[in-house]
Amino acid sequence: MAVLLQSIFSGVLIGGVYALIGIGLTLIFGVMRVINFAQGELVMIGMYCTFFLFKLAGIDPFLSVVLTMPALFLLGAALQSTLINRVLDALPQNQILLTIGIGLVLSNTAMLAFTSDYRILSTTYSSSSVALGSVRLSTPLLYCFLITSAITGALYWFLARTDTGHAIRATAQDRDAAQLMGVNVRNMGVLAFGLGSALAGAAGALIAPTYYIFPQVGGAFTLKAFVVVVLGGMGSVVGATLGGVLIGMSESLAAVYIGSGMKELCVYVIFLLVLLLKPSGLLGKSRT
Amino acid sequence: MRVLLPWAIPALALALVPLFIQSPYALHIFILLFIAVALGESWNVLGGFAGQYSVGHAAWYGLGAYGAFILLQRKGIPPWFGVWAAVAIAVIIALAVGWITFRLRGPYFVLASIAVAEIIRLAALNWKILTNGAEGILGSDLPPLQIAGTMITDWNSKTPYYYLGLLMAVFCVAVNFAVKRSKLGYYLQAIREDQDAAHSLGIALTFYKNTALGISAACTALTGSFAAFYVSFIEPQGVFGIDVSIQMVLTCIIGGIGTVTGPLLGAVVLVLLSEWLRASLAQAHLLVYGVLVIAVILLMPDGFVGFIAQRLRRKAAER
Amino acid sequence: MRPLLEVRNVSRYFGGVKANQDVSFSVEPGIVLGLIGPNGAGKTTLFNCITGFYPPSKGEIVFDGQRINGFPPDKVCKLGMARTWQKVRPLAKLTVLENAVVGALCRTASVSRAKGIALEQLRVVGLEQRAEVLAGGLPIGERKKLELARVLATMPRMILLDEVMGGLNARESEEIIQLILDVKKRGLTQVVIEHDMKAIVRTCDRIVVLSSGEKLAEGIPQEIVNDPRVMAAYLGDSGGAKA
Repeated sequence: MAVLLQSIFSGVLIGGVYALIGIGLTLIFGVMRVINFAQGELVMIGMYCTFFLFKLAGIDPFLSVVLTMPALFLLGAALQSTLINRVLDALPQNQILLTIGIGLVLSNTAMLAFTSDYRILSTTYSSSSVALGSVRLSTPLLYCFLITSAITGALYWFLARTDTGHAIRATAQDRDAAQLMGVNVRNMGVLAFGLGSALAGAAGALIAPTYYIFPQVGGAFTLKAFVVVVLGGMGSVVGATLGGVLIGMSESLAAVYIGSGMKELCVYVIFLLVLLLKPSGLLGKSRT
Repeated sequence: MRVLLPWAIPALALALVPLFIQSPYALHIFILLFIAVALGESWNVLGGFAGQYSVGHAAWYGLGAYGAFILLQRKGIPPWFGVWAAVAIAVIIALAVGWITFRLRGPYFVLASIAVAEIIRLAALNWKILTNGAEGILGSDLPPLQIAGTMITDWNSKTPYYYLGLLMAVFCVAVNFAVKRSKLGYYLQAIREDQDAAHSLGIALTFYKNTALGISAACTALTGSFAAFYVSFIEPQGVFGIDVSIQMVLTCIIGGIGTVTGPLLGAVVLVLLSEWLRASLAQAHLLVYGVLVIAVILLMPDGFVGFIAQRLRRKAAER
Repeated sequence: MRPLLEVRNVSRYFGGVKANQDVSFSVEPGIVLGLIGPNGAGKTTLFNCITGFYPPSKGEIVFDGQRINGFPPDKVCKLGMARTWQKVRPLAKLTVLENAVVGALCRTASVSRAKGIALEQLRVVGLEQRAEVLAGGLPIGERKKLELARVLATMPRMILLDEVMGGLNARESEEIIQLILDVKKRGLTQVVIEHDMKAIVRTCDRIVVLSSGEKLAEGIPQEIVNDPRVMAAYLGDSGGAKA
């Protein structure tokens, strides 16, 4: 029983990070109908930024998030205005290939710059844990979850309460109608991609203390983010949150009860099942 | 027959190359080229003609590789028989996957194809009894090929691989050629252009998509088997990894999807470019792929071949 | 004579929306039936039900004595019923000839024979000079003709034309009207959705009027044109109750 609770809790903790990456992906899809295959690479960049900020300036990873997020925002906005914006009317397959290309450039540039050596970011509290009843929670993961919740909460507030947030949601619902009502949809695209990248960067910063850092780490995150987003429903921020937590839990439970080699397999099988049985996901709009 | 002449001459020229060039490195580059051409042309049948972008074709490549390899290592079945069994397995699994996933459209199909390839990769990684897991399988020496008592080759140089590779590349190009001019080709392109319109014109969508997938998977698996025996070592990431799938797609995108010459051109560009840059960029030669694909999508979405064709058409219209 | 197509009490619902409600009519072989009604009346939905894009929620579609509910679109086409689209759907990267060949391949596996059939249909609609042009580059009038040629190439017994004159100028519309009359002489049965009343009156033997998903009226052109209910449906009746 304790094992079950333990694995559920760890699953939820890591699920928060998956949710963050997924929310970024779903925002981008919602506003521009672009499926960003480079999302994982943006996470990777966030991880490296955090690593170097820690190694060179001694800034704690959970604090450097406030630096990493704006940096990734700018990168994302730049990518959108120079590259993504030009394929908004192209075939979806071509859009995907463009983002795959961007991902390749990002990961290989990182390889050239930092080599493929695995980096490890260990803080003083990296291996400590906190007890919550009979359950032990890894301290870095706990911080990670708390900050993730804070960011997610801030994002919800932004989308629900601010004019710009409303503008983004309007663009996601109906681009033409939003434009007719005076929303600058081009700027919304830049904003969405910037935000999506910032969230990816935040995720990277938050998991840097718990994951190996290397240029190819992005790929697995991209795929996992897709599962999260498809499960939750493409375009739904709440869905991505839910999806992230669910996937985190499934992965954790699978690792404990089936075997750690099989946990990824489990996630992809869930993915396929969702695609086949309910492609619009739990909360998504069924627009393909 | 007249149409085949422009193809016969280069093919013959290539057949004569090993008589003049003996450098193992040069032959190696040619073999890599043949593999890339074969893979590009294979993917083109499903992705180029039918417009179903599978970014998980590594599944069939790997199944071909592992199938033939395991049959040789475990059962002693020589590759020239084992390959066909591996291809058959790949096709059967491909058709099952197609039957399930072809109802998905556009980007959802892309995602599903990736998921399938990853599932198969993880299965290979974890089914250690069969595949040796992450350690991979090291190929033993191939049995000499003998026909009616005469020794054809003992596989100790690159030359037999060269000719097999050439044959395979020519075969895949020929398949593309045949498909394009047949009823199947017309129907696949109709599906690509407008699926609903195609459906209303009497085209059974799933049947034709599956036919394309079957042909595509068979050719890919065949190439996978060949590549496995040539390299003589396989492991899950190397044959099932998403990189393999992406390279297949890039070959066609850069050269020009849906044409017969496009994947050929794309393969030549990619292989030569990455070999040339391997010295300076080492493992980051994929960087070039990334830059190329971005450039092509933004500037020449129909690939080099499409771009040239467009130019020619414009010149003809101006006259 | 047995009707070629019978629509019996067909209803089609999308969630709570009643796109078609209890629609019935028959089409005798060789006639041109007009299907008219204001926007949103359910005409295209009915076409989609008839040709198999989705099955009717209730009722039956009977083609040449065979119940075809739930048949997929390709099977319906092979049985002899082909349709054009309200928003034209050319196979853009294929040439005009190749488009028509796709249609012709419905009846033959030989590409060369299909080319022959295709060229003939292009001649019928007047597009044979444009055979090598990419369909994506055609102006709207020629796209509509191409779509007609394409369905004719499938050697149908009945064609359903969905606003084939939409967006055309007077000359182009006149050409289409002539084509409809020519096609009728060849013995094909046609169901035509149209908004152009003059064209409807000139080409149709009978007219069915839909409004808000239901069949409002049926009769010969003279009757329909003078029917006050029909006029009210188009202009909105005094209560404006029907959406």
